Amino acid sequence: MKIVVCIKQVPGSNRVKFDPITHNLVREGLAGRMNPFDENAIEAAVRLREQVGGEVILLSMGPDATKETLHDGLAMGADAAYLLSARAFAGSDTLATGYILAQAIRQIGGVDLTLFGRQAVDADTGQVGPIVATELDLPQATFASKIQPLAAGRLAVERDLGAVTQTVQLTLPAVVTVRAEANRPRYESPIAIQQSLHKPLTTWTDQDLTLDASRIGQAGSPTVVRKVFAPTPPTRAAKPLPEDPKAAAKALLDILQAQGLL
Amino acid sequence: MISKEGLWIVAEFEGTRIAPVTLQLLTKARAIAGSRPVAAVLMETPEADGEETLAQYGPDEIIVLQAEGFKDASDRALAAQLTQLIQAHQPNAVLFGATPAGRSLAPRVQDQLATGLTADCLDFYYEENELVQVKPSYGDNVMCEIVCPDRRPQMASVRPNTFAAQKAQGAARIERVPVSLTPDDSCVVQHTALKIAATTSLSGARKIIALGRGANKDAVVAGARQLAEKLGASVGVSRPLTDRPDFTAEQQIGQSGVTVSPDLILNLGVSGAVQYQVGMSGSKLVISANRDPKAPIMAQSDYTWTGDAGALVAALQELL
Repeated sequence: MKIVVCIKQVPGSNRVKFDPITHNLVREGLAGRMNPFDENAIEAAVRLREQVGGEVILLSMGPDATKETLHDGLAMGADAAYLLSARAFAGSDTLATGYILAQAIRQIGGVDLTLFGRQAVDADTGQVGPIVATELDLPQATFASKIQPLAAGRLAVERDLGAVTQTVQLTLPAVVTVRAEANRPRYESPIAIQQSLHKPLTTWTDQDLTLDASRIGQAGSPTVVRKVFAPTPPTRAAKPLPEDPKAAAKALLDILQAQGLL
Repeated sequence: MISKEGLWIVAEFEGTRIAPVTLQLLTKARAIAGSRPVAAVLMETPEADGEETLAQYGPDEIIVLQAEGFKDASDRALAAQLTQLIQAHQPNAVLFGATPAGRSLAPRVQDQLATGLTADCLDFYYEENELVQVKPSYGDNVMCEIVCPDRRPQMASVRPNTFAAQKAQGAARIERVPVSLTPDDSCVVQHTALKIAATTSLSGARKIIALGRGANKDAVVAGARQLAEKLGASVGVSRPLTDRPDFTAEQQIGQSGVTVSPDLILNLGVSGAVQYQVGMSGSKLVISANRDPKAPIMAQSDYTWTGDAGALVAALQELL
């Protein structure tokens, strides 16, 4: 089974800061790391390869520093990695990103299964997986909590959809997005890290892919972020209850009584 | 006739009933629509009757698509139907619940329409004809205003329990649209199980006792559970307590957890990180007990008590 795992490098922490003058996010000093859900996607891919054979290829779009995250993925057991990196890709929203990834998957060729983490923890959209599936006209199983290979190029996928759990039979090629519940990602052993340095990591620019220039970067992105700000929930009265615990409990119950909450 | 330039809500079922987020979205849509017609889009099996529920929440139109095949239809098949409908009637905006189902369907439609989609919005409003979509980012630590200036429809998914649903007067016009649904052999549902989800009970709870780091003692947790039983409340937690074996992320209020909007939330030992505040800001009455009078939760509360959560729990137990 030829498996592509699309991964994203996200900021090392969500405690982001603002520039007080420009109101832009201060990104410096934020080391990147692999989106945690993508570790589950890689683990799922490596387990499938262990069960049925094949290869696991990582695919990511981002600046050159994304190579570190790709190396982490190779140390987790992937066989090869592609980085899509070009000035022309800058400013891509989910639609443009999905298109570029889909074109890269076409170029890799013969891919049976494309995996994603359920969403990235920075923007939390979870949109790129379904967009790639649509671009490639493939079926999808999102929010997978279990993936089991079946005979004849099919997968049984359990989807955890909140109120319901659904088991689907998916005919490959297909796209699956993976929940954290699916597995526990393996530890990168020193040997695996050593070996990962010798695995192929290829960088493709916009020149290496077949792309419609109007569909990439800012031109290919319908959405515009017009403002970024720190949330300030409106404050409330904060009336203090009596100091003594018993008196406080009494006052609290009186309030509930008065508001019909008892 | 289905109106053009409408504000559409894609209805979702939760089991056999209309999902709460759909009704919440209808209420919010009516409030911001201005002169635009508000329409609910319902894809259901012939034996379902979602339109009856939807009509009580005041849409101008209910666009009903009925087919046996909507039971267990794949995301791809649903997206094809919806895309066709949108292309034929050109709504101004299309909104989905940011549920797993909505988040799976919406981007497929977005791609086919080559338009923008904003995920997991906490607010939205019109400026002229532009829908301003407010969404959190970086674990709710940052808010972004996102617009889609040049393409239509404008699309967004909206986090459940961000708005309260309110019934409304008015006769909804039912528009039935013929459907031809091709079965999708590439994704076949084998089995569906309704979960008895703690998530559902917490997100729909009218009263919540929420426990944070300051209540992280077995005795306090046990006392709070008894209290919750007496008050008819559900028990929720802030992120640190999800590390306890007796709580999971499904009981977590806030980012990567559940957004709640109960009539009462009693916060015990919760300090109130931004992502927690956002997760409970829709609560009607907020009462918080914390050892630190300067804890961020205090300014977000109607009533506060400074002291040990365990002491307040014990005192309440004695009185109830």
